[in-house]
Amino acid sequence: MIPLTHFLVLGAILFSISIAGIFLNRKNVIVLLMCIELMLLAVNTNFIAFSHYLGDISGQVFVFFILTVAAAEAAIGLAILVVVFRNRRTINVQDLDEMKG
Amino acid sequence: MTFVQFLFYFFAAIQVLAALRVVTVKNPVHAALFLVLTFVSAACMWILLEAEFLGLLLVLVYVGAVMVLFLFVVMMLDVNIAEMREGFASYMPVALVVAIIMVVEMGMVLTQRIFNVRPPVEKVADVSNTEAIGAVMYTDYVYPFEIAAVILLVAIIAAISLTLRRRPATKYQTPIEQIKVRRNDRVRLVSMKAEKKENGS
Amino acid sequence: METIAALLDFLPQELVTVVLILIKIVAILLPVMIAVAYLTLAERKVIGYMQIRMGPNRVGPKGLLQPIADAVKLMFKEIIIPANAGKFLFIIAPMISLAPALAAWAVVPFSDTLVLSNINAGLLYILALTSLGVYGVIIAGWASNSKYALLGALRSAAQIVAYEIAMGFALVGVLMAAGSLNLGEIIDAQRGGIHHWFFIPLIGLFLVYFISGVAETNRAPFDVAEGESEIVAGFHVEYSGMAFAVFFLAEYANMILIGALTTILFLGGWLSPFDGILPASAFTIPVLGSFLDSGVHWFVFKTAFFLLLFLWFRATFPRYRYDQIMRLGWKVLIPVTLVWIFGEGLAIALGWKPWE
Repeated sequence: MIPLTHFLVLGAILFSISIAGIFLNRKNVIVLLMCIELMLLAVNTNFIAFSHYLGDISGQVFVFFILTVAAAEAAIGLAILVVVFRNRRTINVQDLDEMKG
Repeated sequence: MTFVQFLFYFFAAIQVLAALRVVTVKNPVHAALFLVLTFVSAACMWILLEAEFLGLLLVLVYVGAVMVLFLFVVMMLDVNIAEMREGFASYMPVALVVAIIMVVEMGMVLTQRIFNVRPPVEKVADVSNTEAIGAVMYTDYVYPFEIAAVILLVAIIAAISLTLRRRPATKYQTPIEQIKVRRNDRVRLVSMKAEKKENGS
Repeated sequence: METIAALLDFLPQELVTVVLILIKIVAILLPVMIAVAYLTLAERKVIGYMQIRMGPNRVGPKGLLQPIADAVKLMFKEIIIPANAGKFLFIIAPMISLAPALAAWAVVPFSDTLVLSNINAGLLYILALTSLGVYGVIIAGWASNSKYALLGALRSAAQIVAYEIAMGFALVGVLMAAGSLNLGEIIDAQRGGIHHWFFIPLIGLFLVYFISGVAETNRAPFDVAEGESEIVAGFHVEYSGMAFAVFFLAEYANMILIGALTTILFLGGWLSPFDGILPASAFTIPVLGSFLDSGVHWFVFKTAFFLLLFLWFRATFPRYRYDQIMRLGWKVLIPVTLVWIFGEGLAIALGWKPWE
């Protein structure tokens, strides 16, 4: 029998890795997006673990909605990325400083 | 160690290692592929938690569609990898410290006794996971479900309208125009008299 | 199975289970791989006859050993890895494209008892696994470190992803009619003779599913990615020897899988077309009765029919242009499925179920 804590700690480790990833890859928008997906995955794992251990199906319904929104987010994020690259020829975060006052 | 425990630690190890590679690897394509590996092992773990519908859905939606999109974008954009990696080493200490502090803090919270719950022994009599989710989703969560549908529709329209561009220079074929063409539009029959043959030509 | 289990009695219980599952997997995969090998021969023979020539007829009686000769030839060829290619990804790509095509057989029911894993979400499992096949293509194109391979890979990956949507929608129609994601229950819902099979009330989805299946396997007339007479081979241009052969195997295994799935979802799988039409006494006639009765042979016949269609298409249809393929997928097939599903939902809501 695997205790619930193990799943939660796994989720925490994944979440922290993706936080570290956001620090490390500050210049690369694509990897930043991937780190966000990883973060959502960690959250989803927690939801499903809770849903299983508490015997409540609502946790899984939440995961379903998170997946939906995350898919929409990824699609729009990548679309914006493509448009930015088309106009600026770069996706380096530091070069995207048009809005600086 | 039972077989289920072995599977848990196996998939957990793969997830952690692959996630570490996602954030540290040089090439974004490799990062995306490692993310795929993370997702697949996470899906296996969800199935271990008797959430087979969501596990398969994760493979179908994330691995089958979203990550393919990521790979497309990474491969099509001509990204300068070296420039992207600038300052990677200098951010490393901060990232490590933050990540370790977070893991320790969350670990301290999560190992409290309050999280030590046992799963309900008896499952609800032979209702499959898919049916159970469906029964809740179309009753209690029907409005959130519809909102999610609208969000997806908005995402489709937004993504298409953002990336669609008309290129006036590109030449298109319009099949309707091609079908409508009659012989008289293209060919002009000219009746001429036969010319006389000249000498020595 | 019990006798084998008794033979392995000296082993621990868990190990016996694992060994039994492995034996079942081999028992399914061996016929599939043999079918793949002979499908290549059948393709050359059928197309040969359609073009009024003999097809391969030199190796063995009537050319029956040709696939073995081909396999031996490919095995002894060198696998050339291009300079600066991602070596690991380059080698693993063919396996990634073959593995989902074979793994999907785990949930395919061959008869009412003959199925490796009778899981609840079988249809979802199949959808998930078929969506993994695209990775073999993408990774192969990327790892080859060649512009031709990369562009070919992006082309065929875009095609596969586009047609997967139409395919998924067609499956939604089937599971609405059957009321289950379990493949065995989907077949059970079609019991009672040929007029109860789903291809009659769901004819639109049936056609869309099969067309998408042809497009998804990158077969003619949708084989622009390969287009052997126009461009280089597409994503596997840099592959040779056994690595190339594995891509080939994956393509044919996918064809057989699509044929089998179409059979299960729309033509009643292992059900006999005479089931429920002929009186029950007809099934007790010594030899003819067991032929007329439902069983694995009907599954094989129907699958073979769809495989013949694959080959027939290749022999008769001219190749689509790439923009026409995309137009067909997005602007024709997907709207057709959407309208069909809407109509079907309306019918179910009004309590009118023609498939029952």
